[in-house]
Amino acid sequence: MAFAVADRRRWPLLVGLILVHLAVISHQVDGGGGVSLLQGLVLRALLPFQLAIKGTVSGASELRRSLARLRGAYDENLRLAEEVRRLELLVQERSRQSQDAAGLRELLDLKPVLPLETVAADVLSREGVPFYRTLSIDKGTEDGVALDAAVLSPRGVLGRVIWSGPRSARVQTLLDRDSGAGVLIERTRTTGVVSGQVALSDAGSPDLVMKYVLEQADVVAGDLVVTSGLDRIYPKGLVVGRVRSVGKGAGLFKDIRVEPSAQFDSLEHVLVVLGRASEDAAGASAR
Amino acid sequence: MRTTFWTAVALLGAFLVETALGRLLPTPGRLLDPFLLVVVYCAIVGGETHGMLAGAAAGWVQDAHFGGRILGIGAIAKLVVGFGVGYFAGRLLLGGTGVRALVILLASTADALLVQWLASVFDIEVTLPGPLALAARAAANAVVGGLFFALLERRARSITP
Repeated sequence: MAFAVADRRRWPLLVGLILVHLAVISHQVDGGGGVSLLQGLVLRALLPFQLAIKGTVSGASELRRSLARLRGAYDENLRLAEEVRRLELLVQERSRQSQDAAGLRELLDLKPVLPLETVAADVLSREGVPFYRTLSIDKGTEDGVALDAAVLSPRGVLGRVIWSGPRSARVQTLLDRDSGAGVLIERTRTTGVVSGQVALSDAGSPDLVMKYVLEQADVVAGDLVVTSGLDRIYPKGLVVGRVRSVGKGAGLFKDIRVEPSAQFDSLEHVLVVLGRASEDAAGASAR
Repeated sequence: MRTTFWTAVALLGAFLVETALGRLLPTPGRLLDPFLLVVVYCAIVGGETHGMLAGAAAGWVQDAHFGGRILGIGAIAKLVVGFGVGYFAGRLLLGGTGVRALVILLASTADALLVQWLASVFDIEVTLPGPLALAARAAANAVVGGLFFALLERRARSITP
């Protein structure tokens, strides 16, 4: 046997390994974590395999989808043509509104609220263990993805980058219990912090919890929740979700559940914000 | 050297399976833990030292790729599970698909409980799946692992003259 170790040495080896692990964990807890050398090495070594499996599975899925699409191609084509006509009208209307808004902004001497530069990334893997809500993406520092960069989907905020290697990065989603984002209720400007729920079972709802909102605050179900920019991670004004329920919490604060806008379970592509959110927040504060 | 090589190959396979599952299912980690199956198999076949080293390696890969901000929690849990399974495999007769499935079920539960306990010790925020979710995951691991181990054993018998 290759790992044959004398009986008397096995227990010291076990204890030694446990102590080493405890020391490594303690070091990360003290130091903030997220950028360890070992993690970087492991991620870099396995990235080619991960890209290969992503390509294979995506290719197979695409083939399956293409075959399915062929069946209803004609009807789909007719429907899409109608949709295109409708959207063209919508685009014209939006274009006119945008011009109006630009004119108003110029009139009021305001800059656009969110001049975000982003990079698109593909999701490589997601949620491999049930204790964390994280995912890996195929863009890293070589593409300008920095630690703590905000990650978005077309529907809303997804999370932030907690590790960034040269060609891949790991994203902690808002569903993670360890996450947090500064938000405000758009209608009343009431501020708070959203994060993942305290205890999620598989059957439970994937709602976010909005914390630190005083009992007297005016918040009702259906209110739009957007980022406040105060955390210096998420740029101000991005959609997080809508208030699903408001209840009486423990102590001075309300118990607010927020239905996230982003579809965390069906993510394939994301947008990573380049540059610093703090600049937007600072700019917004100054304005 | 050969054992190390095949253990590495098995861990790489587990990694690929988990990545592929992530492309097909929204929450693969809540359904199956292929790394745990590798650790249990190594522990049953190779004993406690092999089990704990495979456990530590599997845990680090899993933590680095699928874990949270703090690394090592999953590694230490799998290390202990690998040692435990190997310890009992050396003293008890763990043959037969049913018995091995039971071992995987217990190992899966122990692994989840260890992660939760260690996270609370280090005051790390982790999502706590409900008892039903953990039981379902352990059962899925047991079924898949039991069948997989049986296949491996059958193949090993057919190769051995």
